[in-house]
Amino acid sequence: MIALLWINLDYAASVVLFCIGLYCVVTKNNLIKKFIGLNIMETAVFAFIVALGVVEGGDAPIMGADANAPFTNPIPQALILTGIVVAVSTTALALSLIIRIYQHCGTIEADELREME
Amino acid sequence: MPASALLVGVIIIPLVGAVLTPVVGGRSGRAAGPWALAVMLVTSAIALMLIVHVANVGPFSAYLGGWEPPYGIELRFDEFSASTSVICLLGTLSILFSFKYAEKELPPERIRYYYTLLLLNLTGMIGFVVTGDIFNLFVFMEILSLSGYALVAVSGERTAEMAAFKYLIMGAVSSLMVLFAIGLLYALTGSLNMADISVRLAGAEKAPAMLAIAAFTVGFMVKAALFPLHIWLPDAHAIAPSPVSAILSGLVVKTGLLGMIRIYQIYYGAKVLDLSALNTVLVWLGAISIVMGAFFAIFQEDIKMMLAYSTISNVGYIIMGLGLASQYGVIGAAVHIFNHALIKATLFLGAGAIIYRTGYRNLTDLRGIGRSMPLTTAAISIGAISIVGMPPTAGFLCKWYIALGAVEAGQPLFAVALVFGALFIFVYYIRMVNTFYFQEPVHPEILEVEEAPLSMLFPVLILAALCLIMGILGRIPLSFVEPAVTRLLAPLGG
Amino acid sequence: MKRALTVALLVVVAIPLLYAVAQLPQHGSPMTPPYTHISPRYLEKGPEEAGAENIVTDVILNYRGFDTNGEVTVIFTSLAAVCAVLLGSRKGDERPAGEPSSSAVPVSDVVSFVVRLLSPLIAIFAVYVMLFGHISPGGGFQSGAILAALVIVTTVIVGRKQAEALVPVRIRRLLQVAAPLTFFVVGVSGLFLFGDYLAYPKTEGQMWLATAWLIVIGIGIGVGGAAVLASIFWTMGDDS
Repeated sequence: MIALLWINLDYAASVVLFCIGLYCVVTKNNLIKKFIGLNIMETAVFAFIVALGVVEGGDAPIMGADANAPFTNPIPQALILTGIVVAVSTTALALSLIIRIYQHCGTIEADELREME
Repeated sequence: MPASALLVGVIIIPLVGAVLTPVVGGRSGRAAGPWALAVMLVTSAIALMLIVHVANVGPFSAYLGGWEPPYGIELRFDEFSASTSVICLLGTLSILFSFKYAEKELPPERIRYYYTLLLLNLTGMIGFVVTGDIFNLFVFMEILSLSGYALVAVSGERTAEMAAFKYLIMGAVSSLMVLFAIGLLYALTGSLNMADISVRLAGAEKAPAMLAIAAFTVGFMVKAALFPLHIWLPDAHAIAPSPVSAILSGLVVKTGLLGMIRIYQIYYGAKVLDLSALNTVLVWLGAISIVMGAFFAIFQEDIKMMLAYSTISNVGYIIMGLGLASQYGVIGAAVHIFNHALIKATLFLGAGAIIYRTGYRNLTDLRGIGRSMPLTTAAISIGAISIVGMPPTAGFLCKWYIALGAVEAGQPLFAVALVFGALFIFVYYIRMVNTFYFQEPVHPEILEVEEAPLSMLFPVLILAALCLIMGILGRIPLSFVEPAVTRLLAPLGG
Repeated sequence: MKRALTVALLVVVAIPLLYAVAQLPQHGSPMTPPYTHISPRYLEKGPEEAGAENIVTDVILNYRGFDTNGEVTVIFTSLAAVCAVLLGSRKGDERPAGEPSSSAVPVSDVVSFVVRLLSPLIAIFAVYVMLFGHISPGGGFQSGAILAALVIVTTVIVGRKQAEALVPVRIRRLLQVAAPLTFFVVGVSGLFLFGDYLAYPKTEGQMWLATAWLIVIGIGIGVGGAAVLASIFWTMGDDS
């Protein structure tokens, strides 16, 4: 298994990154830090999907006079472009909510917020 | 109009309608409500034509951009996509219900964005149930999730914003799991079209395929609020504005379940894995959800909190039906998705009308409300009888089918759990009806309040009437989804 | 304690995850399903049937254009969501004492000078990325992000009022919905001209038209995206 994992090291790295992000989301007390954890998870998934598109010695998939095969797979790149926009949108909404929570409560520490309830 | 153009229109028309809402709505937002209502009425008409078409000719597709699958995106309308009808129905009625609500509760600057988000949420759900492409599914899921988080917070109360943040964190993690699973399926098959994946998955490696379905299941079960992934639901659904609660509880939660059906369509067809272990887990979690949801609901004072916990319980029924993987069970589950949406919307909108008039949310404070708001409380009572599953109402047949499914699958024990859960549910709804009609009011002024305004009363009464009608005509949806379920389960038998 | 438990739990989760990804088709090999199934057709025929030499542009705007249609809707949703959460305060809403005042930190002369120097170049770069997305790396979203960044640094330097004065409110409202509306217009034209929503011309002789439409959509996404991102930034600034 280790040998296989070595070949697919890129995928393994994104799995590790995913777990680090999840750790942040679960354990961090500050809402912004929680959200940064979520962003790390997003990056992990994006990296995983983009890595699916890599081919050994591949060139950018832009056809022109001086383009030469092999090309990397364009589909994962296109998907992740969409994914990034989704991530940006989620971030914008989360930050707005954090702004409002701070205005109401004067804190964004999860434990202090829980005490207020 | 060819059916394929209508199929695109059912997504595009509410989408463009939503995008134009802030422009049309103007500064005061007064025009936004009627505009949104008009958009949903047009969409409903299209949805109706599509359903008639699918009933006549069976599932059909539209190829976007003229690229045949798997090269382009395919929209596919099958019997499960007919849930578009209930999305349009609840959407239209909730928007109508919102007219008075938004005027009273929301800052005027927010009104047009409130309707924009409602329309976007409905668009997202319609796209979600109609698409035949797995990445497109993700995109629509994000539209509906993002608008859902914001709608919870739209009232601007502190607790609402905190509930929305909790919902956002859990929802975003679950979306990422779904995206990760999509990536795994793409790595294994090189395709994003559901039908194509199903064909190509057959010879794939087992371990990644198993990881993919596990990630899909966890992701969609967070969206569906299955116990123990339900912790975001009670706060979000109870604190959100009532029309939003109706949509979230009635529809948004169900998209997780419909997503699960789509994944089953891929995996059952591919026959790459034996899913009986997963199904066993789901049946058990469903049973636990039924009992735990009902159990917590008994102790709630807040009427909307009680309804929110009851949603968890009912999601348990649907998951149990799906997990049983027997003909009766899956049919019952599919129809309960539809019926529970009607019932829960009746209850939440009815509760919303009462809160609008009285300002009280706790059952103790609402004692005696049945005397001053007879029509609304009557509608709520019909909803309560339905959700318990009493014979002449909408809730009965699907629960009966799920119980039959348990027997059919050789696990009659779960039929017992189901009846047990129904008893719990009976207890707390009896308590609710009892406080409405038979207890002396704590606040004397509650006898003075007026019946709900017409724009609120009308949706509630329509839904309550539908609860009864669907009980009497309950066989129609059951036989409607039957061919789809037979197709879904065919690979298991053969 | 909670941390230790979380770490333990995550390790337990990570092991099956790692086991499963190790079984995936070999990374970087040209024989994996993603290479052999759909992408060869895109790479081979993209320029002739979809209208752009940049295959990624072909995929996002033509082959899978509906995804991008959904995606611009997502970003519009986030604008509506931010407005719904931040605009206006609830009736009878009180802020806690000790609210930080909105006094901005004075911008250093160095930053101010560099931004002034660079902003025309940033603008030119954004326009280049927008218009040449079909033959070189880039496209609508990328240029939208660059434009929005330009608007944001300008706001930091010259202040909110002057920056906003550049784009009147009415025009801004139209720009915010530019991206979804461009898609709608192009999509419906495709429906009437070629029979499918978002269909582009596919024959050799009409390729110039497909390319033109790709550029139009690119401009729509770029301008619309920039307007949405800038509006989100300004709306967030409203409240503090």
